[in-house]
Amino acid sequence: MKSSSPLPFPYLLRPSIWASRNRAHRRERGDLMRALVFGGIGLVVTLAIFSGAFWLTWQLADYGELGDYLLRAGLSWLFLTFLSFLAFSGVVTALSTFFLSADLRLLVAAPIAPSRLFYARFVRTIGQASWMVVVFLAPLLLGVGVARCAPYSFYAFAVLTVVPFAAIPVVTGTAATFALVNVFPARRARDFLMVTGLLFAASIVILIRYIRPERLLRVESLPDITGFFATLQSPITPFLPSFWAGETLFANLRGGRDWLHFLALWTTAAALTLLLRAAHERWHFSGFSNAQESRKARFTKLQSLDRLATRLPISVVRRHLLVKDAKVFFRDVSQWSQLLLLVALMLLYLYNFRVLDLDRIPYMSSVIKNVYAFVNLAMTGFVMATVAVRFVFPGVSSEGAAFWIVRSAPIRLQDFLWSKFWIGFVPVLVLTEALTVTGNYLLGVDPFLAVLAPVVVLLMSLALVGLATGLGARYPRFAADNASQVAGSYGGIAFMVAAVLFVLVIVALVGWPASLYLFHQGRRIPISPFQQLEMSACFLAATVISLATWWFGMRTGVRALGELT
Amino acid sequence: MIAVHDLVKKYGAFTAVDGVSLQVHPGEIHGFLGPNGAGKTTTIRMIAGLLKPTSGRILVNGHDLQADPERAKASLGFIPDRPFLYEKLTAGEFLRFHGGLYGLDGPGSGDRVREMLELFELGRWEHELVESFSHGMKQRLVMCAAFLHRPEAVLVDEPMVGLDPRGARLIKDVFRKMSGRGVAILMSTHTLEVAQEMCDRISIILHGRIIANGTVPEVRAMSGDPGDQLTNVFLKLTGGSGLQEIDEVV
Repeated sequence: MKSSSPLPFPYLLRPSIWASRNRAHRRERGDLMRALVFGGIGLVVTLAIFSGAFWLTWQLADYGELGDYLLRAGLSWLFLTFLSFLAFSGVVTALSTFFLSADLRLLVAAPIAPSRLFYARFVRTIGQASWMVVVFLAPLLLGVGVARCAPYSFYAFAVLTVVPFAAIPVVTGTAATFALVNVFPARRARDFLMVTGLLFAASIVILIRYIRPERLLRVESLPDITGFFATLQSPITPFLPSFWAGETLFANLRGGRDWLHFLALWTTAAALTLLLRAAHERWHFSGFSNAQESRKARFTKLQSLDRLATRLPISVVRRHLLVKDAKVFFRDVSQWSQLLLLVALMLLYLYNFRVLDLDRIPYMSSVIKNVYAFVNLAMTGFVMATVAVRFVFPGVSSEGAAFWIVRSAPIRLQDFLWSKFWIGFVPVLVLTEALTVTGNYLLGVDPFLAVLAPVVVLLMSLALVGLATGLGARYPRFAADNASQVAGSYGGIAFMVAAVLFVLVIVALVGWPASLYLFHQGRRIPISPFQQLEMSACFLAATVISLATWWFGMRTGVRALGELT
Repeated sequence: MIAVHDLVKKYGAFTAVDGVSLQVHPGEIHGFLGPNGAGKTTTIRMIAGLLKPTSGRILVNGHDLQADPERAKASLGFIPDRPFLYEKLTAGEFLRFHGGLYGLDGPGSGDRVREMLELFELGRWEHELVESFSHGMKQRLVMCAAFLHRPEAVLVDEPMVGLDPRGARLIKDVFRKMSGRGVAILMSTHTLEVAQEMCDRISIILHGRIIANGTVPEVRAMSGDPGDQLTNVFLKLTGGSGLQEIDEVV
């Protein structure tokens, strides 16, 4: 019965495979809808990437040698972008797969050779860290290949190139994690990584602004494009795997072979993997042991928050619920670091409005500005929906196993849910109003729109935060590990679908009468009484739908909480 | 057998385990007692190979855990206080996977899995997902896994938590039978009645140090009253009953 030789490392991947099979056999509520929504979005994105790559490669073919140069540099630049992403992703994923994953408690206690454990976790790390890049690269390279009528060997080499290309930065990132975890306890290292991730994202934003890609959109600036790529080259570029991958694929695209760079990819990946295996044998157990240590609390004082809360004109119960939620939020790095990242992206979004040079089109500038104002309104609505699903929707679920405290306390569940609403509503309103008012100010929109947009944002905030709070209570996931998991649940997706529809309806209901008003005002034509009636009806409908959504959301939530057993 | 020599575990300046030495012989059930935070779980996790000791030596059936971890772990069964289970696997799949980790494979392994499931009264749940199990059922499944590969030594951290009287009785019977077959069992528990009823020897740990070690009568004698209940002995040795403070507060 006992086997003479240890089972090979893929044996350790069996639980994931069996669990996936069991999940597929035993469908849960919402699985079909989730599959349809995500599958649909995935298909659209894949087709868009394929079409974009195909169109661009096709266009470049018209420019002869310049087109070839741009394609070659473009491939290299594309891989360079992924290189840093993969390295960072490797650091974060390895922290979980090698040190914090719950099943390690079972595996480390079992008599498994370190090399088997290493390879099993390594395969998992590579898969988890690089799947997004692979999913993005597959339609892209397919588009390039089809546009260039590449031989079949191009596609085979594309696979054989992407594998070592993904492995190299992930191995490097994993090695960095090994070093990090042996210096800090793993849970502290995770916080450190969260902040590093934030800085990484901020640096990408700054980099994008620094290279100003919008200048490429000008027709007269074609000579600038070669200069643009030239600035991305540096003396160290030929030593990077991104360059090797780009060169290998470009050679294959033209029916040739670039064995030097292809072999450089594979030998580097193999050598780094062996080095990482040695590092694993030397440092993994001490790092894993460190990871068992509990984390130290941060922001343990926050007395100003208590003082501030006592001044609010709210009941004792609501005050304590509010203070508890605020403290939990500030002590969870994953929460506020994501919010900061969102703020950074918003600043980038606003900056783009600032650099938009619409006055170059004198006759159309005011029309385009006002069209942009509606785009801005819709974007604000989508940002609001995203923030709500990520931060407001998981509000009830975040109580987790501690929800019994609320359930057994002598408080009304209505009070509990309204406290969740207000703690979500105020920041969402401030954030989205800032986005709308600043965006419209930078665009220089008509005063009518400058007043209308903040009012609409107020209505949308009430509706979406109310709906997120209510549906969050209707579809709670108390057993979820983190807020992202809750946001991706059936209820979260249902909320996102409803929220997007809501935003589109509101923008349409507000956009039509507002554009009618602007049209008449621009041509100095009076608006007929019937049209005024139609406009009022639209604004009224937008208001009623918003307030009804708010009321429906909260009522659903309160009822659902009452029905929880 | 399990032998621990001068085991130390430090977290920064804090010493969680401070020079613990103990031996559990084949066929012996050894109770490991102590108040919360005394260092029981840390010691057990070090013996299970989950925590790296700051210093000291651990031998499992003659294999040094640091020098030869695979052999040491292969002859050990571990029942943690908060076990990890793959929730999306069925009980049978979980046990087959767990058996594979300990080299249990090929013909006969399926029979062994069913035998263990029947022993712990989980036979009819073999094809059910673990996520649908109650706490007590999960606890029994972990015990199935720990005894599946016929270990020569077993580490148990709080075995009775969450078990109903029938489950507790079952576990006690299994432990007795296993020790009767020569398995060395080191069991950490807060349930002193269980320790008194089942253990051949006990060790009491306080602030990371062993303060008492011996058979139950020997430990009773240490408290100065050989006829005393183990609960009273435990309270005397670990710092009083606290009843006076309770009276003052209440």
